[in-house]
Amino acid sequence: MILTLRFIVLFVLCGICFFSVPRAWRPLTLAFWGAVFYAMFAGAFLAIVLALTVLTYFAGRRVVAWTTGALVVGLLYYFKVRAAVFDIGAGAPSSATILIPLGFSYLSFELLHVVIERRRGRIPVPSFPDLLAFVFFAPARVAGPIKRYPDFTGAVHGAEWSMDNLYAGTIRVMVGLAKKLFIADVLALTVAERPDVRSAAHAWVVLLAFTFQIYFDFSAYTDVAIGFSRMLGITLPENFRRPYLAPNIREFWNRWHITLSMWVRDYVFLPAGRGLFRTRLRALPTVIAAISYVVTFLVVGAWHGITAAFLLWGLYHGVLLAAYHAMRAKMPPSIAAHPLYRSRAADACGVAVTFLLVAIGWVPFMTSWDGASRLLALLFGAGR
Amino acid sequence: MRPARRLIFALVCLAALDPFVPVMQRRVERHRYEDALAFRFEGSDLFALGPLVAYLRDQPRGERPRTVFLGNSVMFGYGLDAAEAIPGRFQQLHPDTQVFNAAINGFEMGSSYLVSKAIVDAVDRFYVMRGTAAANPLLASLIPVEEADVRAFHLQSPNPVEARLQSMAEIWHLYASTYRLQAAIFGTSTRQYIHGRADAVRRAIAPDGPQPAIGAHAPADGAIAVTRWRSATIPTDERRSELRRQDQVLWQFAELVSAHRKRAVILQFGGAVTGVSSETELADFNAAFAPFVEVVGLTIPPAFKYDSRHLTAEGARLVAEALRP
Repeated sequence: MILTLRFIVLFVLCGICFFSVPRAWRPLTLAFWGAVFYAMFAGAFLAIVLALTVLTYFAGRRVVAWTTGALVVGLLYYFKVRAAVFDIGAGAPSSATILIPLGFSYLSFELLHVVIERRRGRIPVPSFPDLLAFVFFAPARVAGPIKRYPDFTGAVHGAEWSMDNLYAGTIRVMVGLAKKLFIADVLALTVAERPDVRSAAHAWVVLLAFTFQIYFDFSAYTDVAIGFSRMLGITLPENFRRPYLAPNIREFWNRWHITLSMWVRDYVFLPAGRGLFRTRLRALPTVIAAISYVVTFLVVGAWHGITAAFLLWGLYHGVLLAAYHAMRAKMPPSIAAHPLYRSRAADACGVAVTFLLVAIGWVPFMTSWDGASRLLALLFGAGR
Repeated sequence: MRPARRLIFALVCLAALDPFVPVMQRRVERHRYEDALAFRFEGSDLFALGPLVAYLRDQPRGERPRTVFLGNSVMFGYGLDAAEAIPGRFQQLHPDTQVFNAAINGFEMGSSYLVSKAIVDAVDRFYVMRGTAAANPLLASLIPVEEADVRAFHLQSPNPVEARLQSMAEIWHLYASTYRLQAAIFGTSTRQYIHGRADAVRRAIAPDGPQPAIGAHAPADGAIAVTRWRSATIPTDERRSELRRQDQVLWQFAELVSAHRKRAVILQFGGAVTGVSSETELADFNAAFAPFVEVVGLTIPPAFKYDSRHLTAEGARLVAEALRP
């Protein structure tokens, strides 16, 4: 969608207007062209997004904040269930847009962030043009990254035209295109062999292909979004930092879909932990952490889609993180301080194990429930 | 200002290269499409079909008479080398013609009809596998399809704004030619080309995954039975209307070919067929479109298939021999 000529033409027009109008009008310029983009690709849902934006603007009032929050979560749930009924998985973004407003998963988390932070008093009364620009900012609307309002607004107001930005942005977009066209789309052909998989070796090849395909595909969209924004002098947060080189599962989530990880940390994990600390579990911090991890990653799974497969994937990562946390908490100091434990060899083993666990975790992501069982059986030599 | 200089340098290079793109495209396309001995797109690539159709429309007269094979993976020769598939064998038997294997996995009669319609002026003879009336919904984005056909075959309609912008952007030759260059240089889309090379490495390391099935090259005894339905009488208008109603796409295809005074053989590979299916109906159909279009029945013993549908190399050779004009 953001690789079509329509988007590129809109972007060029937006860029010209953005740097031509007085600085105070820039947010409105971004909002206008973003709304045109949204209307062009998902016109039917424009009114819903506008209504949610207006509600968010008035979210300083307690009742409005709760109403907005409930509405956003309710709509997200409704659209995810609707998509699940039509059996739309992670691999079908183009079809999903027919049933889900464009980028609604990302938009909903961004709106919830504004609502929550306004209630916490960390975001003062926003200017409506700033909020519209935040909601409709086209490069990040389709596949993130999930923006934070104060950072984004600051970036928009401080944006400067420069050849360095144009050059760096162009290169970043081209890197994204190359990742998508020459790596992710090629790997997708291997992933497409999934129905014909008959042996363990072939199942592993397909799984590894998917593991890298999903990374290159997703990070390509992030590169393109960051690149286009950079051309406007607006810096967006990074979403990936070599995640498959993470030495443990916690570090993986600090490197994979970073903006989502940070969001759930701030708005699910920490509140859940704080809530549990007020209960009788206070004396069992490891249990509190474990429950918080599981709850948080069930939310992450549901955010991707309300299907058994996505929830299973979320649960799997929640359990992995809880287990890692417990292992670290209960590890004897003598082992933690041992030179071997801190050696490069241990790091390399950690990277390999983490990669393997993450790769196996992608199985429910790439196929249906039945397909996942069959593929798992084949991976471990138990099926045909 | 180094970034500025780099950007300007890149733009100047692209502008300087652009006038040579059409010449380069003609050369690589001629080499790919006119010199090939057993032409087909690697990986049965749907997206490479567009460039082939564009080439045939741009160059309606080839150096040799052109024969196009349309159909699904059976016609494509899944599991076989290009030279071993039916079109490849046919090319060996008829070196005086230029054979194009334009079959795509899953293609039905509706898709074959729409492709034929787009290239009928540039082709002398068609060999088409008979199938259902369905057409691939992406076709309208790949080849020229009339608006009425987009509706009739329930195809995905290309966005008009995007199409307009694309036609405007074609002033930049490199942009306009990008798919045709890829298809001509690589013999498929770039992603299929890279995938094919990576797959070859993968197989060398771990010979696993989908590969030519066991028995695909094994010799077998038996013969392929060819049925030609003939009728001495020309069907009446009423009978023609009845046959047309029974299988509209088959009829439209035959009308298209005969109206352009080209030749077509529609291959019916046994199995249950809906529409025009009885011997009398098929004989009347052939009589209605003689001498331009003929439905030919092929009964292939299981010994010439390596699974329930796909032909072995020997099976493909025998079918090609049975198709002598």
